[in-house]
Amino acid sequence: MTDSRLYRWLRPWVFPVVLVGAFEWYARRAAALGSDALAPPSAAAKAFMGAATDGSLWTATGFTLGTAALGLLLGAVLGIALGVVLGLSRRAAQLGSVSIEVLRPVPSVALIPLAMLTFGFGVRMELAIVAFATFWPLLVLVQSAVQQVEPRLLEVSRVLGLSSRERAFKIVLPAIVPRLFVALRLGVAVALVVAVTVEIAANPNGMGYAMMIAQQSFDPALMLAWLVWIGVVGFAVNAGMVLLQRVVSRRMGVQP
Amino acid sequence: MIAAPAPVAARAALSASAFRSPTVPAMQATPFLRFDGVTIRLGGREILSPTSFDVARGEFVCIVGPSGCGKTTLLRAASGLVSASAGEVRRNGAKMTEPSREVAFVFQDYGRALLPWRTVEGNVSLALEAAGVPAAERAPRIADVLAKVGLAKHAQKFPVQLSGGMQQRAQIARCLAQKPELMMMDEPFGALDALTRQSLQDELARLVRDDGLTVLFVTHDLEEAIYLGDRVIALQANPGPGRPSLARMIDVKIPRPRDQLSTKEHPEYLHLRRELFAFIEQGHD
Repeated sequence: MTDSRLYRWLRPWVFPVVLVGAFEWYARRAAALGSDALAPPSAAAKAFMGAATDGSLWTATGFTLGTAALGLLLGAVLGIALGVVLGLSRRAAQLGSVSIEVLRPVPSVALIPLAMLTFGFGVRMELAIVAFATFWPLLVLVQSAVQQVEPRLLEVSRVLGLSSRERAFKIVLPAIVPRLFVALRLGVAVALVVAVTVEIAANPNGMGYAMMIAQQSFDPALMLAWLVWIGVVGFAVNAGMVLLQRVVSRRMGVQP
Repeated sequence: MIAAPAPVAARAALSASAFRSPTVPAMQATPFLRFDGVTIRLGGREILSPTSFDVARGEFVCIVGPSGCGKTTLLRAASGLVSASAGEVRRNGAKMTEPSREVAFVFQDYGRALLPWRTVEGNVSLALEAAGVPAAERAPRIADVLAKVGLAKHAQKFPVQLSGGMQQRAQIARCLAQKPELMMMDEPFGALDALTRQSLQDELARLVRDDGLTVLFVTHDLEEAIYLGDRVIALQANPGPGRPSLARMIDVKIPRPRDQLSTKEHPEYLHLRRELFAFIEQGHD
């Protein structure tokens, strides 16, 4: 019995291990032939340990994650607030529809020049772009979630005489929590992608910039280490969100 | 079958059931609740023709009628959830345009009317929070209403953990916590099984008697209407010229407290049941 559980647990790891092994073999052969483009995973692991011990790994990771989180917070708070208003009031939704449809498709990285002019290099510029990128999906998803709140609950809030503030915080927001988490998980992914993109393209900070520097100084091992690390960080952040969602929904009475 | 404009002698002879003419309701100076020419039109069609009647304080009025006769909409208009196409509802002389905390509303679909993310206690608390009751005073009041509806042991449970009957009790508890003077109930027991319904009927009758509530109770169940009501108002569907929505107004003079067995064997009960049944049958042809 324990054997079969062990196998079931190991099975998803078979393919990655084979892949890494094959890559190691191939990259070593390429290096032996004098290629600077590829590094074997063992060299990447060594470079990773180096970055971890000299602290550059943690500084860059902290910068990217911190900026992405702050930007997401900004974008999410504004997106949720406006989404609730637009979801509850048909008049507000009509008023905003054209502006939203025009602004929403603007690719967030297209704002890099504008943000650079306005804020210069650094946290604020990256923050503004992440906030812009996460604002739209949250706005649209929250608006549709609010429109799908059980109408009976809104009637209950009218009959009980709740103020509009109480209605938003005691009825609407708790009612959309499951959908809000879907939106937030999307927002987290967008925030991370946009933060790294901005760092690669313009901002001389964070994980994206560190990866660019490794590439430009012909250090494929370090570049590869950063690439894998960014993937690991993304995975960990998403797993954290799933865990948070489970805890919150249990506290809100959803039966497992 | 008794026609509405009955001769005086005939009406006197029928004093036991006292059929009133629906077109000439007995109007008082300022009645507790007055329906004045309430009309409901949906999509250009008249669902409810102008309907007028008064409800006295402490009265239990049941509204029956076939589906589509506008009884639920009439109740919603009376509570201010929707506005009537014409006419008005006045409570203590003031026009009802918006829902008020003095008027509680018990919805039929208890599963949707309770907040699934709050416990029974939390759902009751919502009414107190809305009314601005200080946090320190909430717990005893919640315990009080939960005891009244027999949910004291289930205060910490979430709605999905309760049976349908218990969920409806929770909704009634939330309404009682409002301390309303008027309770609107829209087919509250329609979705419950027969035994649960009977026990809830008896508990409701007891609660109403203890708290001196005025109740407007919509149901499609004639027996329930006669069993619970001081008065039964029968509506008919498809009103038109010479066919008003308000078809019958019947006083139920069966002594209280009523009992599931003896009341339902009471000659008056059987008589009214026959009368109303014939009327509803007629409305379905």
